Amino acid sequence: MREIIKNMFRRKGRTVLTVFGITIGIFAFTVMGSMAEKISLLVSGGTEFYSDKVTISQSDSLFLSGPMNVNKAAEIEKVDGVKAVSASVFTSLSKTFDAVSFGPPASITGEQLENRELESFKITYSSGRQIEEGDRGKVVIGADLVKKLDAKVGSNVKIRDKDYEVVGIMEKTLTAPDNSVVMTLPDVQEIYFGELPEIVQSQSKPSEVVNGFTVYPNEGVDPNQLAAKIDNEVSDISAFGPQDFQDQIASATGIFNAILFGVALISLIVGGLSVINTMTMSISERTKEIGIKKAVGAKTKNILGEYLAEAGLIGLFGGLLGWGLGALTVFFVNSATESSGNQIFLLSARISVFAIIFATVLGVLAGFYPAYRATRINIVKALREE
Amino acid sequence: MADTMLKMKDVSKIYVLGNQKNARKAQKAIHNLSKKYIRFTKKGNKTEAAKAEKFIAKAQRLFTEEKYEQSYQSITGRKIKPKSGKGSVVHALNGVSLEIKAGELVAIMGPSGSGKSTLLNMLGILDQPTSGQIHIDSSDVTATKGRNLPGLRSKKLGFVFQSFNLVPTLTALENVMLPLKYKGLHLRTRKKQARDALETVGLGDRLDHKPAELSGGQQQRVAIARSIVSNPAIILADELTGELDSKMTEEVMRLVLKLNKAGQTFIIVTHNPDVAKLCRRIIYMKDGRIEKETKNSR
Repeated sequence: MREIIKNMFRRKGRTVLTVFGITIGIFAFTVMGSMAEKISLLVSGGTEFYSDKVTISQSDSLFLSGPMNVNKAAEIEKVDGVKAVSASVFTSLSKTFDAVSFGPPASITGEQLENRELESFKITYSSGRQIEEGDRGKVVIGADLVKKLDAKVGSNVKIRDKDYEVVGIMEKTLTAPDNSVVMTLPDVQEIYFGELPEIVQSQSKPSEVVNGFTVYPNEGVDPNQLAAKIDNEVSDISAFGPQDFQDQIASATGIFNAILFGVALISLIVGGLSVINTMTMSISERTKEIGIKKAVGAKTKNILGEYLAEAGLIGLFGGLLGWGLGALTVFFVNSATESSGNQIFLLSARISVFAIIFATVLGVLAGFYPAYRATRINIVKALREE
Repeated sequence: MADTMLKMKDVSKIYVLGNQKNARKAQKAIHNLSKKYIRFTKKGNKTEAAKAEKFIAKAQRLFTEEKYEQSYQSITGRKIKPKSGKGSVVHALNGVSLEIKAGELVAIMGPSGSGKSTLLNMLGILDQPTSGQIHIDSSDVTATKGRNLPGLRSKKLGFVFQSFNLVPTLTALENVMLPLKYKGLHLRTRKKQARDALETVGLGDRLDHKPAELSGGQQQRVAIARSIVSNPAIILADELTGELDSKMTEEVMRLVLKLNKAGQTFIIVTHNPDVAKLCRRIIYMKDGRIEKETKNSR
């Protein structure tokens, strides 16, 4: 083993350059992979959240709804198969939508709390408690917004120029709630109402306006079919089931992920080729040495093993270095963007393990051809070489 | 009388250099048939063996006359078009027979190109003969499958080369440990045996020196330590004093004589008459044949 490491650094410059080749590939893989991982967790969280319910929007988009009268709930409840309906309001945390945002923008949500026990997507709290009926002027903060709002349980935070008392902080969910503030429905309604055009304001009061409903189906009722049924029977709204979420979000992010991984894989192939080159050079330099080893009894598998191990080590070193740089990048970018509440990377254990194992395997595979050539060296010719 | 350590029978080696397609084909055919011949003799199939022997002899005669097409045809029965290539055919060995007993110290001498090194390569299983048979310490080398040759080599043979051929990045101790590593011995055993071998050659205090930090004589002693460490039946030395001055030559030969006295069989290829004089038996080679043999009474 010591000999293999020594051999590796007999030509320091060359080995270091090759290791860097792999490093760049693994770096790209780690960073891009973390980005893709973040997205896919967001999406899978969303998939889970939407899996057993129907969401009502005023428009054709699941996420860009308009104002609706809260009385619509009664109409929706009449549809066969509906167990309960909760009205909700969803709006952005800042007055203006962030122009460019990765994943869902920071938001404020509030909903009727009577049906809370029907919700299957449970949230736990790292400190404090959940929002309760009558908590006017109080908020619960998502994990990613703690820094941005400088929130602590018991202290006040300023949201839309108004002070609210923090009563709870949510545990990290790795999906949408991390990026949101939860209030009582009347509080959000007030904020939301202020954003509406005057013509709408003049025709209603804050407590009548919501922009979403969550419909919990009866047991055994397929939410997708129920969504279609609600669409048919209730006018002026759109109902979305789990499948609609898949169609609108999950499939689009799938392509995005494929592109990210594609870029990373190409840089890895380039790294692999440079391992082949380096190892071929090393072996032709060491022809005589290989001849000696064969003359004193080295079997094909010994020679093969030695050079595969060397190539694997180059891969492993490159992998560790690339992963390290990637992890640092992810860490720094995330902490730089933490204050804005919009983190774009998630370096998961599986990405890390995969990156390092993949680098090693890549090294070994790339080393195979040169190592095989080493085993074919003619002893007599090798020993005569000067 | 002592056991036979090495037996060579009618060993020939032909090198085809450059672009001589027909010669190469004929050579391959002869080689294949001589493998077949060995198989027949092993099975006791005398009539087939005799037939193969006759064909080999005929093909070889034709080959020596540079009638490669006829040589090929005499074995395979197929005709090939005569082609004149740019290469040349070298008969490095022409039917060498030799027997060496345990504990002998044999010198092989001869001018350059006489086939000494080729003979040594055959003996060392570094190369396969075109035809003929080689037995080392009761193992039939020519009948052994290619993938078992490294094992045979590490069990039966030790090598000492003209240019020492130590691995430059390894210390003396690690160089000596190398053959043991391929035998699959435990690290501690390897270290102990290697240290013992280096002490035998008088280098017990140079264990951690790299080859570049040792004199030529010392390097050659390390190489000898490497060859004796796995307790081989025979040690083959190719010009072991070729790059040494007379003082170092003496130092190395004293060691060889000491080891030989303890029962180690040596075959030494050399140009140096002073080295040959120290050996009990001297074989002179010329044009790929054994020209004469003399015995020294020392």
